[in-house]
Amino acid sequence: MMGKTSPMAEALKHAMLIVGAIIVILPFYVMLSYSMKSPREIDTNTGGFFGAQEPMIDEYCLKIGTPSGEVASEELKKSCLKTPVVFNYVTAFDKAPLIRYLLNGVFVTASIFLIQVLVALPCAYALAKLRFWGRDMVFGLVLFCLLIPVHAIALPIYLMLAKVGLINSYAALIIPWTISVFGIFLMRQFFMTIPDDLIDAARIDGMSEFSIVWKVMLPCAVPALMAFAIFSVVAHWNDYFWPRIAITSDRNYFTPPLGLREFKGDADGDIYGPMMATATIIVTPLIVAFLLAQRKFIEGITLSGMK
Amino acid sequence: MTAQAVTIVQTPKQGASLLTARSRTRWVSYLFCLPAVALMFIIFLVPISVAGILSFTDYSLGNESFTWLGWKNYEVIFGRSSYQKMLWATTAYVLVVVPVSIGLGLGTALLINSLTRFSDFYKAVYFLPVMASFLAMALVWDLALHPTVGVVNQTLARGCGTWIESFFGFGWLPWVDGAQSWYSTSCADEFPLWIGDRDYALPTICFIGIWQALGFNMVLYLAGLTGVPRELYHAAAIDGVTSGWDRFRLVTWPMLGPTTVFVVTITAIRSFQVFDTVEALTQGGPAKATYVMMYAIFEKAIRQNLVGFGSAITIVFLVFVLVITYTQRYLVEKRVHYS
Repeated sequence: MMGKTSPMAEALKHAMLIVGAIIVILPFYVMLSYSMKSPREIDTNTGGFFGAQEPMIDEYCLKIGTPSGEVASEELKKSCLKTPVVFNYVTAFDKAPLIRYLLNGVFVTASIFLIQVLVALPCAYALAKLRFWGRDMVFGLVLFCLLIPVHAIALPIYLMLAKVGLINSYAALIIPWTISVFGIFLMRQFFMTIPDDLIDAARIDGMSEFSIVWKVMLPCAVPALMAFAIFSVVAHWNDYFWPRIAITSDRNYFTPPLGLREFKGDADGDIYGPMMATATIIVTPLIVAFLLAQRKFIEGITLSGMK
Repeated sequence: MTAQAVTIVQTPKQGASLLTARSRTRWVSYLFCLPAVALMFIIFLVPISVAGILSFTDYSLGNESFTWLGWKNYEVIFGRSSYQKMLWATTAYVLVVVPVSIGLGLGTALLINSLTRFSDFYKAVYFLPVMASFLAMALVWDLALHPTVGVVNQTLARGCGTWIESFFGFGWLPWVDGAQSWYSTSCADEFPLWIGDRDYALPTICFIGIWQALGFNMVLYLAGLTGVPRELYHAAAIDGVTSGWDRFRLVTWPMLGPTTVFVVTITAIRSFQVFDTVEALTQGGPAKATYVMMYAIFEKAIRQNLVGFGSAITIVFLVFVLVITYTQRYLVEKRVHYS
């Protein structure tokens, strides 16, 4: 862009970007590395990236194996000897029902996206392609709701859910997100670009408006929907604010971030390894998906830039 | 010939069937909009009104009745020192995170954009924090910044007494006394507790926020840069613009105007909503140094069941966000770019 650059300038740019990249990568490095280290290695900051992987004694295993007041037998000590990386990841799954949290996360994220599409698509189609009295009012309402950040309505929604007794349920996690005004707006803009002839042709073929939405418009909208799916899934898999409010006590409905947060409660150093293992497990799916389809993800996440 | 005749014959019939289709669609339109409109009422309009009304009361969950307080909740927010601290902490967070993350995001985008190789690699690396759960990464930063065990302080401590200390002590600058520098005094005494220290807590939370927002802003600027026509640079060169700084000042920056307005708006709104780092790491402390609005709403309205008061903070928050949004609209309409 700036014309020819000298090799010196190019090297300097790389140097600056690499320094920045190190800071950006640092927590990922710490997370991955600590998820493989023993508590002692974490305390002393030794063992390099992978840790020495020397077998360590699982104190918790010792404690439940010995009746109180007795000294642990050598045999028990031997059976409680574990490789740090195995110990960390096994504890992550054992100490908390992490599998359940992950499934909750998948279920909630998928439900939110499906309902959002189910609600937004017909409305977006009507706003873009059908003529009816009040259309401008509906669109105005969409534009107005776009201004309201979800954080501002969290408290009153919490109250409403509490009033009907829905706090601590899947419904509480999903309901506030069932409507994505941004999704309606986005799909409407996309549908505007689809020629009317296509819809008229479908009508002449005798298709009902209902099947036009799902059999003609939906397949046309796949690229836009993909981007919206990434936008929605990333936001809700990672969301911590709303689950923290909606799930006050029942661990059965915990999403992955809530499960991870539990580790922070007890601050003794021993728990860092499994905590970092849990963090790695939660963060990995999206990071891997991102690395596989970078362009699609960047497009999806920065969707809000299209307004 | 025949084919043409057939189409001509069919045209009126087609028109008629379309007409009936149009009248048929009217009912369908309402049916299609109904779920969305109903949900917009239930999830946006009703709650906003509820919050607005409750903000003038002392309502709390489980109470049958409540008293009307008028503006008292708002007077407390703007009058009592602990809530003034809240407004200050929130504003300070926004005022630090927005310019720094945007400046760095723009800088990174310009650097990446001017590279001949590896630009995709850097783009992916800088974008990683945007993909990762903010809460998870906040907890990792918490560990990395741990006063004794943390990588950051241990690495800093290792630099003590070496060239690193003399370099970052800036004692090699003639007007700086190296021994009095931040690095040297920290070496002699101890390195900060970061989030445990009231002076460092907010800057540390800001740093984590910047770390996360940087990649997002960079990507938006990269998209903005692709929209700058190359001819403008040629034209500028013909007009005698030669230095890189002048090219940036006269061509790139003005052309990025709309992007900048958008990036500022979205970063500001997101920064006002900061919650994860504060809830997980500092709980608003120490000494309310990181007591931001979202955490205050959570603590007051949900933990302590002071719903009326929490609603008032919610409304103040909403007003802040709307002010930012309308400023953006105004700037966009005034055409911030020169094309």
